[in-house]
Amino acid sequence: MRLMRTSDIAQRPVVTVAGEDVAQIKDIVYAADGGSVSGFTLAGRGLFAGPLKEGLSWKSVAALGADAVMIADEAALEPTDSVLGRSRGGEGSHGNVLGSQVLTEDGVALGTVHDVVVAVDSSQDGQCDVVGYEIVASDQMGTQGDKVLIPLPDTMAASGEHLMVPTSVRDFVGHDLAGFGAAVERFREHLGGAQ
Amino acid sequence: MMKFSEAKGHKVVDKSTASTVGKVRSLLVDPGSCSVAALRLKKSDRGEVLRWGDLIAFGVDAVTIGDPAAITELDGDLKALRGKRGRLLKKRVLTTGGDELGEVSDVEFNPGTGKLTAIFLQDGEIAGERLVNIGSYAVVVKEEPAED
Repeated sequence: MRLMRTSDIAQRPVVTVAGEDVAQIKDIVYAADGGSVSGFTLAGRGLFAGPLKEGLSWKSVAALGADAVMIADEAALEPTDSVLGRSRGGEGSHGNVLGSQVLTEDGVALGTVHDVVVAVDSSQDGQCDVVGYEIVASDQMGTQGDKVLIPLPDTMAASGEHLMVPTSVRDFVGHDLAGFGAAVERFREHLGGAQ
Repeated sequence: MMKFSEAKGHKVVDKSTASTVGKVRSLLVDPGSCSVAALRLKKSDRGEVLRWGDLIAFGVDAVTIGDPAAITELDGDLKALRGKRGRLLKKRVLTTGGDELGEVSDVEFNPGTGKLTAIFLQDGEIAGERLVNIGSYAVVVKEEPAED
């Protein structure tokens, strides 16, 4: 399990196991429920290359590493429409959260979303889970303007304007990705115990 | 074992006349088998490539051949190896997990078989058995088993 910011995944090359770079990541496509990454839209390689007609669904990804997205071969690509089709119905729930205000259930604005943090499980049938957001903190956080990481519950309400998070999220704020995985786990455990 | 940097400049000697017929300029690697496919020569009147199968030996001090007619022009399948694909030095190394390990600084091969045995990076080395494939973008190697 490895945590990454989705802004770091964009532009990453898509490389076959044979060592050929066939594309690069353009955008992240989120699953209909918003809780995981279902695939990617792609662009061609090189400065002037435009978007590709092919996309990459998460199940065809062999591995997502720090420097490249690995696939078995070019047959792993599929029409972009079929990658996007899988996420229809819930668009906007996580896909378009950048800039949204994060609001706790007791009405405190924690900040605005700057980046999405995913946990990558590269094993067979592993998921690429959305586990947190990096937000630019409001003055309520005491560290206004700082970027902090907040863990997310498995499900939450989002309107495009606001994201509602449990009030207790404030006890699980992280400052770097290194320790954030543990914070996500503790937070989700805490929520599970409360129900 | 021998490094590419050591192999460069080796003279190529014709066994029948005991004369030098060229010098090794570079080694062409076949990505599929991860082995040396041919030698590119310089200072040869006959042509510029010598296929691995036409060598008698890749010795410590010289490459020996039985027939200088084996030296030919670069053509056919070898032409494809001349470009980005068959070159290893300075190419990035990626694991099957998508992590970059560095750039190739030198390559070691078995002079008996032509098989690549290790890849050297600026810091560290990778065993030949971890090699998966060599592409125009990267050399792909197996991920290191996770440490406990």
